Amino acid sequence: MKLYDYVLSPSCYKVRLMAALTGVKLEIRAVDFHPGAEHRGPELMALNPAGSIPILEDGDLILTESAAMLTYLAAKAGPEWLGSGAPEETARLQQWLSFAHRLTASLGGARLHEMLLRPGDIGTLQAQGIAALRELEAGLVEQGLRGMRFLASDRPTVADIACFPYVALAPDGGVPLDPYPAIRLWSRAIRSLDNFIEMPGIHRLHELKREHVEPGEV
Amino acid sequence: MPARTPVGPIALWRSQSGRAAASADRCPHRGMRLSHGFVRGEALSCIYHGWSYARAGNCLRIPAHPGLAPPETIRVPTHEVEECDGVIWVAVGEATAQPPRLQGVVPLRSLTAHAAVAAIEAAAGAKAGVDGFAWQPQSKLQIRLLLVPQGAEETLIHVLLDDDSSLSQRIAASRAVETLRRTAEDLETKATAP
Amino acid sequence: MTHDAMIDEWYPVGLFSQLDTNARKTALMGRPIEVAVEAEGHARVTSGDGRSLPVCVRYGHVWSSLGKPQKDLFAIPEADQPGRTLVDVGVIRVRCSPLRAVENFLDIAHFPFVHTDILGAEPHTEVQDYKVEVRQDADEVWATQVKFYQPQAAKSASGGITTEYMYRVPAPTCCVLYKTCPPRPGEWDVITLFVQPLAEDLCDVWPWMALFDDATPMTDLIHFQQTIFLQDRSILENQIPRLLPLDPGMEIPTRADLTSVAYRRWLKRHNYTYGAQLVAQ
Ligand SMILES: N[C@H](CCC(=O)N[C@@H](CS)C(=O)NCC(=O)O)C(=O)O
Ligand code: FES
Ligand SMILES: [Fe+2]
Repeated sequence: MKLYDYVLSPSCYKVRLMAALTGVKLEIRAVDFHPGAEHRGPELMALNPAGSIPILEDGDLILTESAAMLTYLAAKAGPEWLGSGAPEETARLQQWLSFAHRLTASLGGARLHEMLLRPGDIGTLQAQGIAALRELEAGLVEQGLRGMRFLASDRPTVADIACFPYVALAPDGGVPLDPYPAIRLWSRAIRSLDNFIEMPGIHRLHELKREHVEPGEV
Repeated sequence: MPARTPVGPIALWRSQSGRAAASADRCPHRGMRLSHGFVRGEALSCIYHGWSYARAGNCLRIPAHPGLAPPETIRVPTHEVEECDGVIWVAVGEATAQPPRLQGVVPLRSLTAHAAVAAIEAAAGAKAGVDGFAWQPQSKLQIRLLLVPQGAEETLIHVLLDDDSSLSQRIAASRAVETLRRTAEDLETKATAP
Repeated sequence: MTHDAMIDEWYPVGLFSQLDTNARKTALMGRPIEVAVEAEGHARVTSGDGRSLPVCVRYGHVWSSLGKPQKDLFAIPEADQPGRTLVDVGVIRVRCSPLRAVENFLDIAHFPFVHTDILGAEPHTEVQDYKVEVRQDADEVWATQVKFYQPQAAKSASGGITTEYMYRVPAPTCCVLYKTCPPRPGEWDVITLFVQPLAEDLCDVWPWMALFDDATPMTDLIHFQQTIFLQDRSILENQIPRLLPLDPGMEIPTRADLTSVAYRRWLKRHNYTYGAQLVAQ
């Protein structure tokens, strides 16, 4: 499976993260998104006329939507990431999977503007990002009251992976995460998963590593 | 986690043994926010160069100099912390009294509104004392709100409710407070509009 | 407060390869400027009031100044050495003081915590003593014999090694580092950080490299450096205060921070204070 990838892209990171969590080995094809704008060049436009990355290629199958890529990886290598199939859980999973697009448009847009100088109305992007974070926070509070730590159930699903990257990187776009305690706990729960991998801007949870004590120290 | 007090931002953390602690949200080494740091055992470490601090604020370890015992002079200002009825209270300066008791209620959630305390009081039609105020948005919903100003324009709202509330009452309370926040923010926008 | 001393310096304002006749609208020290490359290939920089500003094109970037530069842009002789791959990493905006961005680049003690498993890893956190001086002839800050254990020192590295560094500050918002070059013992890889001060608390950072590495694809070299810098960015945007404190009482340096101490003193002595905080609070 070949992923057309950019290290700083949260959407590409979703796919790398899902692959790591399900133990799938990806062939990475690095795309010079910035400064080269290679995703708008002829080779990549032929694969994805929308001019966006990630693109996942597996034989004849070409996927250009990260939600589909997460679902594909899960279906192949970790069906538990698709939920139990219970109607309410399935509905929540789909709800948050679609909601993730709003995070991309708002928080993702703010991040591109603030970090890579993309044009855009930064005030509006940030305000839409805050509105989306508030919805996510409220959703996680309600899940917590139901005794569930993740968006669709008490175990993580593709919906959590779809939402996590743009949320965790919101501060890159000038949107602080300080006001969202439920998001913080959820984010820590995701970062603590076995085989979790980081991307630049999301630091290692150093608390998971034991303190190294020098010989002779108390 | 970060929190704001009238004397500036703090890093609020819980040690492995479960004790809450509060320090200034600024590492004395190079100014990094300590609320971005990590907790190992009974110490809070800064994410930038890993300097670690005890609950009392003294520096315990400088990883760049593993053999060096950090001098007593390196310390981060701390605040007194009390945990009481599920709520963490931080004293700014010397604590003169115990936090008010909030019996018979449980904490539900905390949320931030882009509105001053007055706008939230107006939206709820109540006035807050030290132990907040009681609010009844619907007949079967008894909510207690604690309001903490975060600068002039924002307010942190802690939501508590009767400890025998059912799941559906808890969810209803969470949603009711979202509505209260929206109302308060509308009032605030109208009040500040030219 | 006057910032006159920094007005006469050269600053990066764009990647030459990315510019054309459509002007790039940007800013320098709070003033709007426009940068373009004309059809004949000359770079042109204009201030908001229509003045033509000094221009030079070097190290992949267009450089300009609001004042009258007294000297040519500093030399990086390695840039012209045959066999090096020159890497335009591209711009990254950071909401921090341009001086804080440079100071972070001079620091190795953060590697295990910020660039975990790439440029450093616990328990290898010790910073051994190194040498720092201000070279009087060129008036540059230099740190030499800086050594640090690194799990993955470069894109081309395949395991942990102890890397040696030299750091050089040839201008208040520019830094050049030289580091052990695994494929070419005896040579140094050159990695720079050129910082364009947009405001005292906002900058566009233009990393650039001149490496001996003909095995790694260009895009991978760019991504390696962007990864490293993005790990730093979230630190830089969360230091308090935003401006770099030049008052020695405000922050606590140790022996590991001698480069930073020398850099701050050098800034103060030259009145290079755009982006600095002079008195506490
Ligand atoms: N199709 C969406 C696209 C994700 C997205 O927005 N990707 C960004 C990079 S992070 C992109 O390619 N943007 C194109 C552009 O900004 O030119 C997905 O897979 O979720
Ligand atoms: S700034 Fe906190 S350890 Fe350096
Ligand atoms: Fe760094």
